[in-house]
Amino acid sequence: MSYLEIKDLEISFPTPEGKYVAVRDINLSIEKGEIISIIGHSGCGKSTIMNAIGGMTIPTGGSVELAGKKIKGPGPDRGIVFQNYSLLPWLTVYQNIFQAVDAVMDCSKKEKQEIVTNNLSMVSLLQHKDKLPGQLSGGMKQRVAIARAFAINPGVLLLDEPFGALDALTKGTMQLELLKLWNLSGRDKTIVMITHDIEEAIFLSDRIVVLNNGPASTIREIENVHLPRPRNKIEIVKMPEYLEIRDRLLHLLTDKFSVEDMGVVYKK
Amino acid sequence: MVQKDGGGATTFYKRKIVNTLNLDEMSETETLTMTESENVESAIPLKEETQKENKMKYYLSIVIDKSKSLFFACIGLLLFGGFWSFMSSYTENELPGPVATLTVMQEMLSDPFYDYGPNDKGIGLLLVASVGTVLSGFLIGSVVAIPLGILMGASKTFKQILYPLVQLLKPVSPLAWFPIGLVVFKDTGMATIFIVFITSLWSTVINTSFGIGSIPQDHKNVAKAFGFSKWRYLTKILIPFSLPHIITGLRLSIGVAWLVIVAGEMLSGASGIGFFVWDSWNALSLEKVISAILIIGIVGLLFDKLFTFIENKVSYKA
Repeated sequence: MSYLEIKDLEISFPTPEGKYVAVRDINLSIEKGEIISIIGHSGCGKSTIMNAIGGMTIPTGGSVELAGKKIKGPGPDRGIVFQNYSLLPWLTVYQNIFQAVDAVMDCSKKEKQEIVTNNLSMVSLLQHKDKLPGQLSGGMKQRVAIARAFAINPGVLLLDEPFGALDALTKGTMQLELLKLWNLSGRDKTIVMITHDIEEAIFLSDRIVVLNNGPASTIREIENVHLPRPRNKIEIVKMPEYLEIRDRLLHLLTDKFSVEDMGVVYKK
Repeated sequence: MVQKDGGGATTFYKRKIVNTLNLDEMSETETLTMTESENVESAIPLKEETQKENKMKYYLSIVIDKSKSLFFACIGLLLFGGFWSFMSSYTENELPGPVATLTVMQEMLSDPFYDYGPNDKGIGLLLVASVGTVLSGFLIGSVVAIPLGILMGASKTFKQILYPLVQLLKPVSPLAWFPIGLVVFKDTGMATIFIVFITSLWSTVINTSFGIGSIPQDHKNVAKAFGFSKWRYLTKILIPFSLPHIITGLRLSIGVAWLVIVAGEMLSGASGIGFFVWDSWNALSLEKVISAILIIGIVGLLFDKLFTFIENKVSYKA
């Protein structure tokens, strides 16, 4: 029995045209401390699976179990980082995290304040603690969101396209930032993240789950990434295994690689 | 500011590429350097003189902006005064000109609080009476309208019950409610408060329900994901999000209430600025009528400014 066990998961929504099945037959066993990426085209049900783990959506079939217990709703054992940061714009950076900690943790106010301060300094935002989200850049906002998810000390971190809205440079920094936090917390946090970015998935994950296109998506393939940690961005891209995985993922996700594949006769 | 932030991100990133591409080697001290390098102002401190200069420039630009808008406002007033003078001479002074009116107004304002019986009071006392009526009606109206709006915004059923009613009653001139007020309260003063109360309802109800109804799913998800209690959801998400909408509703409401009070007092004969307008007309003192119009306008403007100020205080940048 794994730490996070997804069994025969099916999620469907009622629509005027009948039942719409978003995902089905999802079976996935995730160990404690693993980093898993879910990758697939838009609309293939990545977020739906994430929401089922987060407890935001109730499965219509099968089950999701965390540490042997069936997930029936959101809980403090899972920290969620939403796609669009989802900070409360009227609360300061500090308050955004404090309100989550205050709602979830059962300890004295002083301890809660310490937790917030520690997590803010881990993402290097302590000096910005009194700013409002509107005064921050995209990368800083996402760091607040990640710090908020870490602050409630969950066993599982769920990240829904966390760096999708960031520019390439900031994205690179944020990936390291995430690994830093994972290391600082003893590498025992399980991370499940959704991404569109093949390089990002390989750099971060232990396993990459590739989904079929929707509707009624299933798992197409699970790619194991055996690259040694700590991974170095410059080094790993030269490793043959990296290139193999990247090629396989590219083939799984696209079928056209050049204009010639699109029927264009290229005149030399 | 934007430029500075951008610069910060670049320095931040460069440093990290150089120092810490391999993350697990990152040490405490390096984390600290990162923090510092990100704050551009401390990394590249501006010269004190340039800082002072920038500040001066900033304040100067504000002063220039303000005086510009004041200048244009004066042009508008002058044009209005010119047109007024023209109309006055066109009607051969039947319509009093600006000078005659302002003289009378000055007289009125020089002793605003005299009281020679129920039909002869200073303009200050009349204003106090009218503002008092408006505020009591507006206050009762808001106390009813805000919870009603919250209910309508939060529950579809309540919206389905109440919204048709609001749509039906909103277009009715509040003056039409005056007889109802008289029958119920048997008192003209109370009836006037009643029509202000009715007036104050609609904009606040509609804006409040719109505000509550449009809380983004993102914010609700935060509450769900972190298990916010009902109270925390109310105080940290629902109220802060909808407060700007509610205040806008209140601002519109008090604007209409101030419109209505003049007509209401003409109808009820209750002592106040509206009654004063009618009384002055009967006494054929158009100077007083126009002075009252100006004063009514100024008080309305002040109400609006007050609520705009509160609106700005509670608004936030997403």
